[in-house]
Amino acid sequence: MASIGIAGLAVTSALGRGCAAQLSAVLAGAAAFSPVSRFDTGNRRVTVAATLPDVASLPVELAVAVADACTEAGLGRPERSSTPLFLAVHGHPDVPGQAIGLAEAAGLAGVARIYTAACVSASSAVAAAASLISRGELDRAVIAAGYLVEPDQYALFDAGKALAGDGVARPFSRDRQGLLLGDGVAALVLESARSAARRNHSPIGWLAGWGRAGDAHHPCQPAPDGRGLARAIGSALARAGVAAEQLGYVNANATGTPMSDAAEAAALAEALGPVAARVPVSSTKSMHGHALEASGLLELVITVLSLAEGKLGVNANYLGPDPDCPLDLIVDGPRQLAAPYALSLNSAFGGANTALLVRAA
Amino acid sequence: MSILSTGAQVGIRHQAWWWVAEDGAPPVVPGFVHSSFNPLVAAVADRCLGEHYGKPPEPPSDRGRTGLVLVTRGGDRASAEHVRQTVAGGGRLGPLFFFQSVPNSILGYLAARWGLGGPVLCISPTGSPVADGIAEAAVLMSDGDADEVLLIVAEQAGSEGDDGTDCAHALLLGRPAEPAPAGDRVQYPEGRTA
Repeated sequence: MASIGIAGLAVTSALGRGCAAQLSAVLAGAAAFSPVSRFDTGNRRVTVAATLPDVASLPVELAVAVADACTEAGLGRPERSSTPLFLAVHGHPDVPGQAIGLAEAAGLAGVARIYTAACVSASSAVAAAASLISRGELDRAVIAAGYLVEPDQYALFDAGKALAGDGVARPFSRDRQGLLLGDGVAALVLESARSAARRNHSPIGWLAGWGRAGDAHHPCQPAPDGRGLARAIGSALARAGVAAEQLGYVNANATGTPMSDAAEAAALAEALGPVAARVPVSSTKSMHGHALEASGLLELVITVLSLAEGKLGVNANYLGPDPDCPLDLIVDGPRQLAAPYALSLNSAFGGANTALLVRAA
Repeated sequence: MSILSTGAQVGIRHQAWWWVAEDGAPPVVPGFVHSSFNPLVAAVADRCLGEHYGKPPEPPSDRGRTGLVLVTRGGDRASAEHVRQTVAGGGRLGPLFFFQSVPNSILGYLAARWGLGGPVLCISPTGSPVADGIAEAAVLMSDGDADEVLLIVAEQAGSEGDDGTDCAHALLLGRPAEPAPAGDRVQYPEGRTA
């Protein structure tokens, strides 16, 4: 078993700033969607998103998140100077320069990698950093990810009719119509158990496993049988030596898109067998929206916070069951955690899939 | 450079290039519009895989654990600029621009065409694009999530350091015939090791 310590974390979304704001909102099932005022949506089909008022620019928000996560992890100047940055953001020619500036401002060792793989960017960054730590090539790493709702991606999702026409994100629900975008900025410090012990630092949680796999199916549609995501889940469980019965929660990728949510339910059935019908599942995208490149880190942080609290967040805006999604959804209120491990799942265009497996400290 | 020497765990099975100045415009890819970027990625990938494996499998099969890693700094510059101008002008975009809005999409096309079921990743280089890509491929293979990786490096004209023409390089990577010595460390520009 290759457990990697989660030494510190920081998070901002439309649910609020900081860990307490995320946790209280997801346990209450309080969605943060409202009409977009950040830019003009007058020419769009849908005019709703989960945006945080008074948000700064993405580089500034990322710098704050990285600094806060390092502080929570107890990293002083010497530790930071030997810790590299793994960054997940939307691709742009200016990104490498911004990444270098972010690492320098935080006193980090440099930029190890920049992930621009759409909605698996952040989770792929976590997996790569964990892999290098598990093999002793790094003692620790900072992973940062960010997306703030902006007009170009909003227009693209609107043009693709991917946004929920009724203005509500309803993952796994009957009559779901699509996703809604949301702000997300997060940072996480991963550290080997040996390094954490040497510093006498107690992790908040443990990253026990990770897996990635592709669908080999279509440029932007998921395989209906969820085969790539099923293999990613299987890889994460096998790496940790954890059985499906030890899962107490799944924070699903589910966006509220009819086809994608059904494919994810099929993946869970394939990977977990009978456990898929009884493990508690929710998609916190139902409250904070889809943070695209940052979604994997935002949702991992919320999953870790839920495990630490021993309570599981709600799958909000649920109207009733869809026979294509036969899951034990958390819809009536928060649940108590009943088994130690949780999965955070993400999927993206290109048939890309990731699974991250965590447990409480 | 900002990475890494784990490329020592990777062997190159085959490689190919597509230089538009010499090879001409890449063939059109169904469903991808407006820009040469996605056809360029597809052309160099098809050339590399075709020279090594022959025709795509019918039905796609056999290479379920081959991953795809695309390294690009500029990405699809032409489409991004079209989107920026259209949105700034208050216009509406065609739906195909949504489907090709991230570089994952062309990798999904290639994965379906060649039956490649390994991880799908796009990264922006922090130093040498090939070195970054080999390093990422090494991580995927060391983890056991991929047995081989098709690495593609692609830039449209206008990118920093280019020679004024679209160009792409594809490398089919696998484990070397002989295991490389263990103990490589991630390395940073100043020569520090983590």
